[in-house]
Amino acid sequence: MNSFAAISPDASPSNASPSNVSPGVAPPLAARQLSLSYGRGSARRTVIEALDLELPAGQVTAIVGPNGCGKSTLLASLARLHVPDRGAVLLDGHDIQRLPAREMAQRLALLPQETHAPEGLTVAELIRFGRQPHQSLFKQWSRDDRRVVDEALAAADLHALADRPLDAMSGGQRQRAWIAMAIAQQTPLLLLDEPTSALDLGHQLEVFELIRDLAAAGKTLAMVVHDLVSACRFADYLVAMLDGRIVAAGRPSDVVTTALVRDLYGVECTLMQDPATGSPLLTNIRSARYSAEPST
Amino acid sequence: MKTRTLTPPACLMNRPEAGVTPPSGSWRLSWALGERDYSILIERRACFVCLGLLVALLAVSLLSLCLGTLTLSPREALAGVFGHGDPVNAFVVQELRLVRLAAGVATGAAFSLSGCLMQTLARNRLATPGIVGIDNGATAFAVASVVGLGTSLAPPPMALAGAATATAITFALANDVGTRGYRFIVTGIGVGAVFGALTQLLMARVAIDTANAAYPWTVGSLNARDGAALVWLWCGLAIGLVVACYLSRAMRILRFSDAVAQGLGYRVRACRYTALVVSVALAALAVAVAGPVGLVGLIGPEIARQLSSHRGVSLIASALSGAIVMVAADLVGRLLLAPIEVPVGIVTAIVGAPFLLWILLRPAPRFQS
Repeated sequence: MNSFAAISPDASPSNASPSNVSPGVAPPLAARQLSLSYGRGSARRTVIEALDLELPAGQVTAIVGPNGCGKSTLLASLARLHVPDRGAVLLDGHDIQRLPAREMAQRLALLPQETHAPEGLTVAELIRFGRQPHQSLFKQWSRDDRRVVDEALAAADLHALADRPLDAMSGGQRQRAWIAMAIAQQTPLLLLDEPTSALDLGHQLEVFELIRDLAAAGKTLAMVVHDLVSACRFADYLVAMLDGRIVAAGRPSDVVTTALVRDLYGVECTLMQDPATGSPLLTNIRSARYSAEPST
Repeated sequence: MKTRTLTPPACLMNRPEAGVTPPSGSWRLSWALGERDYSILIERRACFVCLGLLVALLAVSLLSLCLGTLTLSPREALAGVFGHGDPVNAFVVQELRLVRLAAGVATGAAFSLSGCLMQTLARNRLATPGIVGIDNGATAFAVASVVGLGTSLAPPPMALAGAATATAITFALANDVGTRGYRFIVTGIGVGAVFGALTQLLMARVAIDTANAAYPWTVGSLNARDGAALVWLWCGLAIGLVVACYLSRAMRILRFSDAVAQGLGYRVRACRYTALVVSVALAALAVAVAGPVGLVGLIGPEIARQLSSHRGVSLIASALSGAIVMVAADLVGRLLLAPIEVPVGIVTAIVGAPFLLWILLRPAPRFQS
């Protein structure tokens, strides 16, 4: 899968630098003092509280945390699906609430967790929808559209399946097709909400490898991931959330500690380094309730 | 090199946007204006389906001009349309059948287009104005206008007001949330029932003659319709079709989830509200002409959907098949028990009710979820 260089976003900035947080480069997407709540009146519930976040350019950021910590909500508000109560999300320094919807879609692509496609839609047809932000009523199919759709098919390794209906494909293939649609949007930024949920081990790997390839091609990615070990292995930057706040952020090997795991998930574990990849590995996971007793 | 008939080869072959291979199943039409290149995609199947439906509509229309108490040959009927031939024939065709045909085509197209728009924006095949009580709201207000209760407004504006009222109440009670799913439909059925009862109450309170005058409105009939209302409807339909064509790209995207549509750069709320306004207005104007023949809004889009491919939302095909259903149902109603006329609303109900059951009982397609 080396065909990525061709699909690097239109404005290919200096983002493609190797995976180190370089302080000089402005973050392509940042949240400033972001607060968000659901419901009205007495049913109002704060989901995100005064949150600051910067996505490192050209890297894969993984957002982890227990259920209900607000990680999916955070991702959705980064993509402007929610209007914040206070604070702002800045895309290249501009408040996304003021950006026209179409322009936003040319700069940031989102793969939501719940994707359902109309019956019978084929892979190629789905990917073509990714060109929508670049098309208009009288500019429905250009040479670029043709080329980018072909490249997205190649990127996701779906050329052989282009005319297959989505409902007749495996979960991993389907997820790759959706990512290919986002690739066809040609955005420098890509947000994914639990891209590997409900996929088995092999299919998860397919998707994570595709995500790594995209980062290698210069895209900035952020994903919500359930599995901490996968997050450590495939992300450059880890953001751990608890109760609507960020409790830790940094390189996985720097931030993942037994204390963090205890705080996030309420479990004890033994932390070791994966001998093959060097990323943090959790073993001997046990409930904090029982293991706490003997030590007291 | 092949010469193209549609585009002058010399000026286009040099342009970078000429000769781009279209996606399978489509034609690509491209032209250049000044420095800019334009292109549109025409889906082959949708194109053929619309042409076929148009031919079918013309055939049914001709039949409806020919058949009746006075049977004419197609040649006589066509001569009558242009005022030639036998004066009696010309009178029957021009004054009676042609107006009726115009009403049938317009109401059928309006109900069906309205139904297709609402089904798409609510992502549910049951969500048509007829089912969610918008027709009933329009009927109640139109009947109020006919029986002269507290208003001197003509039926079309009253029907519009009624449809808007019913929609607003349904929205408020269903708590908006994007007009999604069964909550909207169930609330709409309830609101529709209230308006239906209101209509009956109005009919019961006025003198029998006035009630008789309003009766066709409650079942749906194309017999002796108000000319002004018909003009309103045709104008509304013309505007509605243009807006629908403009919306058709957005409608394709609305079949995905809101998050996906928004991610692709669509202002989902704005699209949905535009479609809703067009849908409600078309249904109301059609009710002002023919009364609540709402089942056409269910049958028309379904026929169009069965014929067309899964790729787009077949708005034009829906309008055409709705017109066919309406004209055909009216024709059957006129001929079935001649000289007694069965109102078109009853004919569509007889055909439509089993159809509704079929939609409810067959294995749910993913579109509905």
